[in-house]
Amino acid sequence: MTAAPLPEHGYGLPHDVSVDGFRVDELIHFTLAAITVIFVVVAASLIWSFVKHRSGPALYSHGTRGSIGLVVGAVALVLVGVDGNLFIHTLGDMHQYFWNFKSAEAAQGAVLIEVNAHQWSWDARYPGADGRFGTPDDVITTDDIRIPVGVPVVVQLASTDVIHSLYLPNLRVKQDAVPGTITRITFQAKIPGEYEIACAQHCGPNHYKMRAVLTVLAPDAFRNWLADAGEDARRAYDPEDKEAHWGWEWRRFEP
Amino acid sequence: MSTAAQALAEAAQPIHPPPTSFWRQYVFSIDHKVIAKQFLWAGLLFLLVGGTLAMLIRWQWAYPYRPVPVIGQLFLRENGGVIGPATYQQIFTTHGLIMIFFAVTPVLIGCFGNFLIPLMIGARDMAFPKLNMYSFWTFLLSQLLVLASFFTDLGSAGAGWTTYPPLSTNVGTPGPGQTLVVAAIFVTGVSSTMGAINYVTTVIRMRAPGMGYMRLPLTMWGLWLTAILNALFVPVLGSAALLLLLDRNFGTQFFVAGASAVRGGGDPILFQHLFWIFGHPEVYILILPAWGILGDVIPFFARKPHHWYKGTVWAMVIVTVLSAMVYGHHMFMTGMSPLLGEGFMLFTLLISAPSMVVVLNWALTLWRASIRFDTPMLFALATVFVFGVGGLTGLFLADISMDLYLHDTMFVVGHFHFTMAAASFIGAMTGVYFWFPKIFGRKLDERLGKAHFWFTFVGITLVFAGQLLAGYAGQQRRLFDPFQYTFIQGLRGLNRWTSFFAFALFAGQFIFVWNFFKTLFGKAVPAGENPWQVTTLEWTATGSPPPFHNFDRIPEVVRGPHEFSNPEVRRLTGRDFAGQSEVLPGSAGPALAAARG
Amino acid sequence: MPGTNVRRTPADLPAPEVPDLHRYRLRRTEGEVTSYVGMIIFLGSWAMMFAALFFAYAVVRLRAPMWPPPDQPALPILVPGLNTAVIAASSLAVVLASRAHALGRHRRASIGLGVAAGLGALFLGLQILVWVGVWRAGLLPSGGPYPSAFYALTAFHALHVLVGLAALGVLAIRARPPRGTTRSAVRLWGMFWHFVGAVWVALYVAVYLV
Repeated sequence: MTAAPLPEHGYGLPHDVSVDGFRVDELIHFTLAAITVIFVVVAASLIWSFVKHRSGPALYSHGTRGSIGLVVGAVALVLVGVDGNLFIHTLGDMHQYFWNFKSAEAAQGAVLIEVNAHQWSWDARYPGADGRFGTPDDVITTDDIRIPVGVPVVVQLASTDVIHSLYLPNLRVKQDAVPGTITRITFQAKIPGEYEIACAQHCGPNHYKMRAVLTVLAPDAFRNWLADAGEDARRAYDPEDKEAHWGWEWRRFEP
Repeated sequence: MSTAAQALAEAAQPIHPPPTSFWRQYVFSIDHKVIAKQFLWAGLLFLLVGGTLAMLIRWQWAYPYRPVPVIGQLFLRENGGVIGPATYQQIFTTHGLIMIFFAVTPVLIGCFGNFLIPLMIGARDMAFPKLNMYSFWTFLLSQLLVLASFFTDLGSAGAGWTTYPPLSTNVGTPGPGQTLVVAAIFVTGVSSTMGAINYVTTVIRMRAPGMGYMRLPLTMWGLWLTAILNALFVPVLGSAALLLLLDRNFGTQFFVAGASAVRGGGDPILFQHLFWIFGHPEVYILILPAWGILGDVIPFFARKPHHWYKGTVWAMVIVTVLSAMVYGHHMFMTGMSPLLGEGFMLFTLLISAPSMVVVLNWALTLWRASIRFDTPMLFALATVFVFGVGGLTGLFLADISMDLYLHDTMFVVGHFHFTMAAASFIGAMTGVYFWFPKIFGRKLDERLGKAHFWFTFVGITLVFAGQLLAGYAGQQRRLFDPFQYTFIQGLRGLNRWTSFFAFALFAGQFIFVWNFFKTLFGKAVPAGENPWQVTTLEWTATGSPPPFHNFDRIPEVVRGPHEFSNPEVRRLTGRDFAGQSEVLPGSAGPALAAARG
Repeated sequence: MPGTNVRRTPADLPAPEVPDLHRYRLRRTEGEVTSYVGMIIFLGSWAMMFAALFFAYAVVRLRAPMWPPPDQPALPILVPGLNTAVIAASSLAVVLASRAHALGRHRRASIGLGVAAGLGALFLGLQILVWVGVWRAGLLPSGGPYPSAFYALTAFHALHVLVGLAALGVLAIRARPPRGTTRSAVRLWGMFWHFVGAVWVALYVAVYLV
C-alpha cells in the first residue's frame, strides 16, 4: 500500500474521480445558481421595500389581478424552469447511470463485489477465479475495497446488525445497507488513487470510526492483486470458520 | 346592541364563574389561557435543555476529546468532563427529540394554539376544556419520561431522533433509557392527538358569528391545518412507537430482520415508512403555525392588507395535503423501487410551488407598505429570510441525483435546521414578542428585544450556514469525531468557527431570558388593550390579559383580519385600521362589511 | 366528553314554532353537536393508528415467503368467527340502549348497556381462549413476524374492548333511573363501541380469514 487518502483542498465538493459524478455536480451547480438568483431577486425586493417604504401611507390593496398574476407567473416559471429541469435530468441520470444495474452488470469486465456491513467495518468479497460467490477461492477483505479503473463496479450490500450506508464522497454515490435485504450500488472510477469510504447512517457509538479505503488500481495491477489474493484465500480457507462464510449467491438484477 | 346570532353564541357558551382555589386557578386549570402559559413554561424550559445539548455537540466538534467546561464537571465527571462516543450519541439523539417534540411543539402549538384559537375566533374557551387540561398533563408526563431516561443505566436514547431500528431495538441500544424515550414519544403523541382533536373541533364549531373560514386570521389557518395534520399522522407515529416497544420488551419481530441476506423476519424499512409518513407532515406541523403567525404579523406591521389572502390559504391547504405524499424523499437511499422514488421526487418538487406562493405573498405584502420595525416585525422578517434559505436548499435534497451525494450529510442538517429550527424558532419568537402583551398584560422591552433579535438572526444564519457548507464538502452527520476522515480534515476551522457562532447564539438567548423575567416581575407598565394597533379579535374585542371568559360579549365579526390603510376607515375613524368586529360610525358599515377579505 | 347542555333556543329568545315538540326536543343541542364532531375527529385519528398497524401487518406478511410459516400453527377461524357475532350483537345492544335512552326509557337503556358490556366481556373471554389455545400450540410472540403481528394486533384491539366495556359498564350503572346519564355520553361511547367492533371485523378478515 502507498500513501493514505489525501485531504481535500478548500470548502467545495470533494474532487470527483468517477465517470458519472459530474452529473451530480452539474445538477448541484445548476441548482445553486438557480436558488441564488431566486434568493437575490426576492431579497432585493424585500430590501427595496424596507428602505423605500419605511414610512408614508401604505397602499390599500388585497392584491390586484396583476400582482396575483405576478405570483402565479413567477411560481410557474420556477416550477418549469428549475423543478422541471431537475426532474427530467434526474430521471435520465437514474435510469441510464446511477440505478442502471442491468447494463452495469452486463458490461465487459464489470467487477462484482459483495459487501457485508457490520458494526463497525466493511467486509468485501470478490468472487475469485471461478466467478462465483461463496466458494473457497473468494477474496475477502476488511475495510479495504480495491477496484480497477475504467470499468463499472456493482456492489451488493448486506448488513448483519443495524442499518449502515456506504458512502463514497469522491464518487458522489451512497447506498444504505439494510439488514434482511440486499441493496445495490454501481459506480465507475476514472482516476487511480486512494479514496475514503464512509458510513453515512448512524450505526452506534463508533459510527465515526466506520471508515474504509477505496483503492482504485490500474487494470493490470487490479488483476495481479486479485490473483495473488485468490491464491492466499485458497490457502487460508477454513471450512470450519462459519463466521467467514457470509457470502451469498449473486442476485442478478431483475427490475 | 346584540344580534340574534350573538345571542345564540352566548347562550351556547355561557359565562362560568372563574375558579377561586389556587389549584384550580393555576395548576389543574381548564382555562385555555392558563394551559397555554403552562405549555409556554414547559416548552421554554426544554428549549434551554435542548439548547444546552446542542452546545455540547458543538463543543465536541470544536474541541474533540477536550473536557467540557462547567457542564462537563456537573454531568460527565466520571469521564473527566470529556464527551465519549456513547454519551455523544445520546446527546444528539435527545437534542433532536427534545427540540422537536418537547420544546418547539409545546411553544408553537401548545402555547399559541391554546392561547390564540379561542381568542382569535371569538370563543369563550376550547370545545373541550378538560381534554385540554389532560393534554397538558400527559405532555408533562412525557417530558418527565425523557428526563428520567438520562438517569438510567446505560443512559438515554442513542439511536438518533429518527430512532431507526434495528439500532433502536435491543440489537443496537439495550437498556431502559431508549425504552423510556420511545414511551415518551408515544405519550407525547397521545397528548398531541388530544390537543389536535380539541383544536380542530374548536375551529369548526366555536367560531364567532360572522367569522367565516375566509375571515380567519392566517395564524388560525396555520394552527388549524397543523392540528389536522397532528390528528391524522401523530397516531401513525404512535403505532410505530408501539411496535418498537413491543420489539424491545416482548421479543416480537416487526423491525428486527433475520441474519444477513436471509429473507423473512421483520423489516427495518417498515419503521422508516411509518416514521416518515408521520415525520414529513411533522416538518409542516412545525412550520405551518410559524407561517400563520407571519401571515398576520407581516401585514400588521406593514399596515397593509395581506397580499392575496386566499392564495396563501389555499397554498397552505395544498402544502397540508401534499405533506403526506412526499415522505419518501427521506428514504431514497434505502433501495426503494425507482418508480416509487421518482413519484416521491415529483411530489417533493411540486410542494415548492405552494411554498413559493406563501413567500411571494409576504414579499408583495411588504411592497409599498408603511413598515414599522418593532421587535416582532424584525423577527418575522428574519423568519422569511431563514425560511427562504431552508426552503431553497431543500431543492437539492428533493432530487435523487443530488441526494446520492448529499443524503445524510451535514447539508441535510443545515437544511432542516434552517426550516424546522431557525424558521420555527424565530417564528415562535415572533409570536412571543407579539402576543406577550396579551398573554401577560405587559410589553417586552424593545431595546433588549432588538439586541436579542440581532444575536439570534445573525447567530442562527451563521451556524446553520456553517452546517450547509460542511455538508456541501461531504461531511456526514452524527459523527463523534468527524476528523477521523481525511477528506474532512480541512473542515476543522469551519467546524470550530461554526461552534463559536453557536456559543454566541446560545449566550444571546439569555438576553431574552433577562427580558422575560424583567418584564414579568419588574415594574409594571400595563400594555393596554391594543398596543400594536391591529385588527384581530384578541386585540380589539377584549382586554390585556383577557378575563377568564375572554369576551364580555361574544363579538360579531364583520370583516377580514387585515383591514389596514383603508381610506374609508381613515375618513370615518381617523385610524389606519379597523377591528374585525368593529362597527364603524356612520352608515358605511354594511358596505365595508361586504368588502372582500 | 362533556359539552354544555344548553338547548338550541335560549330562554330570552321567543320559542320557534314547531309542529312536533317531541321531535324538537330530540334534536341535538349545540354542545352535543360539538362533542359529536370531536368524537368523529377522535375516531378518525384513532383509525389512522389502526390503519398504520394494518399497514405494518401487510408489509411483514408480504415479505414472508410463507404465511403462516410451515413450522407454526395456523390460527383458528371458528371461535374468532363466533366473536364477530358476539361483538355485532353487542353493537346492536348499544344501538337499542341509545334509542331507549333517547325516548326516556332509562331502565331499558341501562339493561341494554349492561348486555352490551356483558357481551364485550364474553368477547374478551373467547379471545383469551384463542390466545391460550395458540400459545399452547407453540405460538410465541418471539417466534417471528407471524406471531408478532397476530399478538400485537389482537392485544391492542382487546385493550380497546376493555376500555369500551368498562365505560359501558359504568354507564349501565349510571343510566339506571331515576338519575340517568346524559344522552351524549351514551351516544359517544356507543360510537366508540361501534368503532371497536368495526376494527374487529377488519382484523378478523385480515388476520384470521385471509
